[in-house]
Amino acid sequence: MGFLEHQDRARTRTTVLVIYFAISVVCIIAAVYIASVLIVYGTQANRPSGSPPTELVLWDPAIFLYAALGTLSVVIIGSVYKIAALAKGGSAVAESLGGRLLSPNTADPGERQLRNVIEEMAIASGMPVPRIYVLDDEPGINAFAAGHTPGDAAIGVTRGCMTLLNRDELQGIIGHEFSHIANGDMRLDLRIMGVLFGIVCLAVIGQVLLYSSRGRGRNPLLFLGLALIVIGAIGVFFGRLIQAALSRQREFLADASAVQFTRNPAGLSAALQKLGGTGSQVKSAHAGEASHMFFGNGMGTSFLGATLATHPPLAERIRAIDPSWDGNFHQGTVRVAAALSHLGSA
Amino acid sequence: MSPSPSIIIAFSTLALFSILMVAGIYNTLVTLRNRFANAYAQIDVQLKRRYDLIPNLVETAKGYLTHERGTLEAVIAARNAAAAANTGAAAHPGDPSAMKQLASSEATLGGTLGRLFALSESYPDLKANTTMLQLMEELTSTENKVAFSRQAFNDAVMAYNTKREVFPSNVIAGMFSFTVAGLFAIEKPEERLAAKVSFA
Repeated sequence: MGFLEHQDRARTRTTVLVIYFAISVVCIIAAVYIASVLIVYGTQANRPSGSPPTELVLWDPAIFLYAALGTLSVVIIGSVYKIAALAKGGSAVAESLGGRLLSPNTADPGERQLRNVIEEMAIASGMPVPRIYVLDDEPGINAFAAGHTPGDAAIGVTRGCMTLLNRDELQGIIGHEFSHIANGDMRLDLRIMGVLFGIVCLAVIGQVLLYSSRGRGRNPLLFLGLALIVIGAIGVFFGRLIQAALSRQREFLADASAVQFTRNPAGLSAALQKLGGTGSQVKSAHAGEASHMFFGNGMGTSFLGATLATHPPLAERIRAIDPSWDGNFHQGTVRVAAALSHLGSA
Repeated sequence: MSPSPSIIIAFSTLALFSILMVAGIYNTLVTLRNRFANAYAQIDVQLKRRYDLIPNLVETAKGYLTHERGTLEAVIAARNAAAAANTGAAAHPGDPSAMKQLASSEATLGGTLGRLFALSESYPDLKANTTMLQLMEELTSTENKVAFSRQAFNDAVMAYNTKREVFPSNVIAGMFSFTVAGLFAIEKPEERLAAKVSFA
């Protein structure tokens, strides 16, 4: 399978996952509606003076309108708030992770090479040259792209990337980050995070209703609050699952696009193998909220492991671009370190 | 007997539509031609940078490769020939003979540079020279930029050539003499590969 087919496959799966996401929002509206119908029925049935026995009406346009409008407005207001809070440019994200802006006229050979490789990939991908940041305190191999439009994008690279990788491997990683910019992954991520927060808001409103109506007997608001908490929790769980699956597809797409830009699968494959041998941990306190943006898994594995991982397993990524891989991760640090000390002493 | 008004309207509508269609195709052809000319401008920038770097490289290597004057002179000669070919190609980007000329002189330059790099392998002092390392890095990067810009240029030329060959735009292209554009092809890929040197 060539890189073009890999890209097509990842794109199709993205569409499917985005549809799932929309379906889950529709399901949430339906659940809120059903809960409201039951609560309205329950409070009417318990009315002591209820001489005409009320029937359970499954379709009540008025309640549906309230449920749909209420849910949608909570989700939309929540999303807009979160997106506005997150929507700072790429430089802001890079600086919050401890990045140092690379000066255009740097004399350091490693930084010079990084700048050159980024300029090459900008030409290959047809994107403007982003601002470049170096994470000096991170010894692991990792990189990220941040920003919402190609115009305000920033690329950050760990110190480990520059000391442990050779030129071709660095080019593979930078190509991967450029495809996140070119494919609009940062924007997609932002929207999904916004909607997820909107669903969280639903559960929060449920909690508020629950607490405010405590100790007032069989208050319908109490039941509505409980229902919203449950629906919100289930919604967030499935939302996270879909978000993680989506992120994994975008990683495959970015790997395949990196091969398209560099025309050199060996470079990216070797970089991924070194990443497997050396590690990609990012220590910055802000790494958690940015974990989906990194080249390799920046965080430890979560308790749900593979289902909630933002990145596919390394072995799977390597096999996708290099079917002849022998399954061994290479450390390769000694040889490269020797070459670098050579560079430094020169 | 004069033709009825409806026939006049029908014919004038038809004429108007054909004029609009011809204008549309003509404009598309011009746009595509400008696009590959602009793509060539990107290559031109990188090639010029490469031609500027090579004399520096030779100057640095001269001190170490005292017995390899022939190779150094060949590099400079090939560089001058390629720079001249680029001037010709930049004046008429896409002109098939100019592109062919450029491709062959670039291949020669790549070959002589490859020989120079192979020679420098046996001079450890030269390989350790900081200026030499920096020049090598810049040269590698410029080579890559040329290669990636060439892809964009060739894609743009392909789009233009296809448009000028398919019906009905081929009729318009013939009427207004939109000539075929040449690709910037690598003549001998193995010679280009020889110029690729990695110190890592």
